[in-house]
Amino acid sequence: MSKDRVSRRQFLNYTLLGVGGFMAAGMVMPMARFAIDPVLKANASGDFVATKVKVADITEEPQRVDFKFDQVDAWYESEETGTAWVYKNENGEIVALSPVCKHLGCTVDWNADEKNQNMFFCPCHYGLYEKDGTNVPGTPPLAPLDVYPYQEKDGILYLGKAQPREGA
Amino acid sequence: MKWTPADIEKFEKSPEYVDTAVVPLFPVSFANGMKETAAMTEFTSLLTSQLERQLQGRILLTPGFSYLKSSRFPVVEQLKDWETDMLDKQFNHVFYVTSDSDWKQHEAMLQGTLLWIPSLPLQHMDEKAKQSVMEDQIRQLMNLFIQKWRDAEAE
Ligand code: FES
Repeated sequence: MSKDRVSRRQFLNYTLLGVGGFMAAGMVMPMARFAIDPVLKANASGDFVATKVKVADITEEPQRVDFKFDQVDAWYESEETGTAWVYKNENGEIVALSPVCKHLGCTVDWNADEKNQNMFFCPCHYGLYEKDGTNVPGTPPLAPLDVYPYQEKDGILYLGKAQPREGA
Repeated sequence: MKWTPADIEKFEKSPEYVDTAVVPLFPVSFANGMKETAAMTEFTSLLTSQLERQLQGRILLTPGFSYLKSSRFPVVEQLKDWETDMLDKQFNHVFYVTSDSDWKQHEAMLQGTLLWIPSLPLQHMDEKAKQSVMEDQIRQLMNLFIQKWRDAEAE
């Protein structure tokens, strides 16, 4: 065999390299897509979702409002249920608070603790929040409950994506 | 918290707050009773994942403990192995959630709390009924947890 001819071993090496090269490219491509995707999707989250609550029916007593929205989790799209505590404050403005405790994420309840009336209470480590969502210092949470932006359309309450606020 | 790397990371940052492990028990059968075990597994897994959503700051939901119903090996022994490990680590409370009533006879062998919840025929319910039934069950289940925590703290 002449020196310039490709030996069997070399041939095998080349082919394997080639395959490996393709595989590597196959992996890089989706990774790049993952990295870029969130940016492309950023706009989609600004949407408001309709609840079943009429704005006229909202009182000064916080009520639990469930609403449904679609969530895309990697390749899996599912219908999720969101929850808000909704009421009107003394000025008649609507307040919609997220029930997710700012400590470690348990679900807070309104008026659920006998010793702390008219407050949001977290059953996990006894976090407390005022009616306006402000965290009570000395309890585990370090920030107030997130607030949902809202809209009124045809008398129905629409909620956006909950937004964090500064701590007390 | 769930059994995902992201949640375990959170867990490792504040283990002192997450003092409760929840282990769903999933029966598996390939002979008769296959469908029943599937229904029990579905129900228990739905229940525990909803529970995790409500109480995620204090509970760690482990992967389900699946076992062959007709196993020739003692299944309880294996679960006790889990239990020993969990109690040795930081967990003060271990809860087992299952729809399989067989566990009741082993309850005394376990240190953790066994919560037996008969599975409901979700398959034959419409979405609305399903949701309200589940919500009800979850509320009851949550109260059991909260009560247990309170009792332990009052001691
Ligand atoms: S998760 Fe609410 S107080 Fe800890």
